[in-house]
Amino acid sequence: MGDTISFPHLDYAALWPMLILFGAACVGVLVEAFVPKAWRNTVQLVLSLLAMGAALVMVIKRAAAGVTAANAHTASDAISIDKAGLFLQGALLVLGIVSLLLIGERTLETGGPFVAQAAITVGSEADRRQAARESGATEVYPLALFALAGMLLFVTANDLLVMFVALEVFSLPLYLLCALARRKRLLSQEAAVKYFLLGAFASAFFLFGVAMVYGFANAVDFNSIHANISTSDKPFALLLIGLAMLAIGLLFKVAAVPFHVWTPDVYQGAPTPVTAFMAACTKAAAFGGLARVLYVGFDRSNWNFTPVLGVIAVLTMLVGAVLAVTQTDLKRLLAYSSVANAGYLLVGVLGGGAAGLSSMLFYLVAYGFAIIAAFALLTLVRDADGEATHLSRWAGLGRRSPFFASVFTFLLLAFAGLPLTSGFTAKFAVFGAAIGGGQTWLVLFGVLSSIILAFPYLRVIVMMWLSEPGDTTPSVSIPGALTSAALMVGVLVTLLLGVAPSSLLDLANNAASFVR
Amino acid sequence: MDGYLGPYATVGLLLLVGVLIIGGAFTANRLLRPSRPNAADGKFDTYECGLDPVEGGWAQVHIRYYIYAYLYVLFAVEAVFLFPWAVVYLAGGAKVIAEMAVFVAVLALGLLYAWRKQALRWL
Amino acid sequence: MTLATEVLAAAGQVGTGEKVVFFILAPLAVVGALGMVIARNAVHSALWLVLTMLSLGVFYIVQTGPFIGMVQIIVYTGAIMMLFLFVLMLVGRDASDSVIETLRGQKVAAIILGVGLAGLLGFGVYEATRGIVPVGLEGANAAGNVQGIAKLLFTKYVWVFEVTSALLITAAVGAMLLAHRERAAGERVGQVAMMKDRFRPGNYPGPKPGPGVFANSTSVATPAKLPDGTPAERSISPILPTRELTAAEIANKPTEGK
Repeated sequence: MGDTISFPHLDYAALWPMLILFGAACVGVLVEAFVPKAWRNTVQLVLSLLAMGAALVMVIKRAAAGVTAANAHTASDAISIDKAGLFLQGALLVLGIVSLLLIGERTLETGGPFVAQAAITVGSEADRRQAARESGATEVYPLALFALAGMLLFVTANDLLVMFVALEVFSLPLYLLCALARRKRLLSQEAAVKYFLLGAFASAFFLFGVAMVYGFANAVDFNSIHANISTSDKPFALLLIGLAMLAIGLLFKVAAVPFHVWTPDVYQGAPTPVTAFMAACTKAAAFGGLARVLYVGFDRSNWNFTPVLGVIAVLTMLVGAVLAVTQTDLKRLLAYSSVANAGYLLVGVLGGGAAGLSSMLFYLVAYGFAIIAAFALLTLVRDADGEATHLSRWAGLGRRSPFFASVFTFLLLAFAGLPLTSGFTAKFAVFGAAIGGGQTWLVLFGVLSSIILAFPYLRVIVMMWLSEPGDTTPSVSIPGALTSAALMVGVLVTLLLGVAPSSLLDLANNAASFVR
Repeated sequence: MDGYLGPYATVGLLLLVGVLIIGGAFTANRLLRPSRPNAADGKFDTYECGLDPVEGGWAQVHIRYYIYAYLYVLFAVEAVFLFPWAVVYLAGGAKVIAEMAVFVAVLALGLLYAWRKQALRWL
Repeated sequence: MTLATEVLAAAGQVGTGEKVVFFILAPLAVVGALGMVIARNAVHSALWLVLTMLSLGVFYIVQTGPFIGMVQIIVYTGAIMMLFLFVLMLVGRDASDSVIETLRGQKVAAIILGVGLAGLLGFGVYEATRGIVPVGLEGANAAGNVQGIAKLLFTKYVWVFEVTSALLITAAVGAMLLAHRERAAGERVGQVAMMKDRFRPGNYPGPKPGPGVFANSTSVATPAKLPDGTPAERSISPILPTRELTAAEIANKPTEGK
């Protein structure tokens, strides 16, 4: 045995947000085990909100205390909670709180958007009974907390192994959450299986990539990898294979084009609050991780990966936009729009430097709020069978509920990138960074795909306002307090970031640095 | 029998000896016993017992088994982490012991959950 | 340490023992993998997979990674394989794969692309590692393999180690959520209720009559005969598929004169 183990110094001030979330999730499991059923939902909701709020306070406290290169790393450099990491953690927590409000909604239909017992056979007598009466499973709260905690770790991982564990920690709860829809349960379960299988493949690719990079650099932490790339005269083949495989794993999570096929099915099948959570938070976490890998670990191979990732960005934007045009289901439409948005984000990342990073951070927040608000609205438009997401059902909605139709119109215009919305500011920032980084060709394709993408949005708007409402036009439910809050926050932030984006832009500019 | 693979060679040798002993016993049996096969009519018929051999021999098992198997996997993974811990906890001191305690406690929480959900009751 | 160097004489050298083991087990591992893909029966597939996993476990051990080798055998060939088999038994025999391709030519394209990717990766790794001397194995195993892993686990990766427990508990909760059906208090049937149900009017409380196998055939699918000669439906187990009995099966057995 011989030498003793020198236990690493853990900087708890930096780790508190994760500790709180993991701890609260464990308490949530205890709540499931011991609190009577009638109380569980309230207890879990309050517990989760408090935990996320406390974690956010801890993030803000640390940001206020100041992050320097000296105190960024902790746990023997395995975790790097630097400025960009802290910004991403804060953004994830805020977006997580807003989507948790949607997850907690129980007034729109009996028992909320989640199935009471997922193990009951679909379509059986017991299933009909539980669909009509029983209140939804409350395990969704600890699962969401675990997912969020994993995301916080993912965006601050300074080591490929840490990153892999974090990737699994935030993916696994999401696979489970996808399978828990109250309505259209078979679709939901199919979505979960697809997401799980493809996600497992992507994780395997990521792990293979880690092994290859280890073969090249003899290390898995970003600092050593960077040092090795800068100084080594070894052939780059292993490194390139490794980076390609890492990129496959990460691009799967951000839904970039050759790896996007799961997106529409999963977004459509998952319960809508979970879809909102995935669209906002998973995207932010995955882009945070991708940016850290590219900016911190593989910096010098810049000239190598930019053209390849650039092609992927172009494909992502174009395929997402073109396929969005052909969709007839609103959830699928938003899914393809999120694919296209992943392309715009990639353009920002490839812009490089602090400008690229800050534009990506800003875009993630802006897009996250808008997409959560859009999905919140989707949960409101419903008929006897649950949410009416088919495009034709929305015809004439503007006549029936002008207020909600206006809000949705505003959100669609934000997605299309019209001025005075956050979408415009965000796209402007991203394209500006890309031009600054000498990637003008990406911007050309970006503008082209934005024009294509405006078409499906406008079609929805035209359908809502210019068609006559028919017998089958569903009504818009009156949202409960939680959905109203989420919707309001989402719309207000979308408006605010369009009108007065400077404070968040400053914040993002200030945060746009990784510590190596 | 020394060197890195030495202990494995010992195990392999033991395995070989075991195979030889059992194989030898059966061979000796075969050589020494009298052999008078009697293929009387109906000797190999199914008679008055057992189910009718129709279709395949496959029965679907209850999903309960799956949960048990799954819990077993979880605790197998936990055990995998316990092995390296067992060789260093003396060197690592209280903090390493505490870390493992937290790890095991979190997993025990899972077991507690399963118990309260009555997943461990067979009926 | 000397342990490692006995077999792997010097860094980058492959000892004779390792070579022998490799050339015996590597083809077996490949055969196992191919068998897993090709086998029609899902259980056979799983058993082929066991072969591959065991071979890999031995490889790890031979390459002076006894810990990972043992983990491979304990977790993969032990626990996870058991899980696989339970899942297969859950699915049932009749649930066979559909052989109809929904996308035309998808199988051929998948094979070509898969082989292409494998070739590309294999060639790339071969080219990249040719002439490179591996280093660091002795340093990593200096205090013993398991000790080395433990040291990393409880120093640099201690936070991740704790996070792994979150992963495991998520899996436990998930399995319970998707597979375990909680019975409501009223759904569980107690002994008293069972007895009442048994003796309620209209139910036959006694044991059911045995099948006719003793009297007139070798098949338990033969019903017993009631006194009036009609077959007693209750004498046949409900799990037996009904089928036409052959003449030989219903013929009275010659129990005398033999």
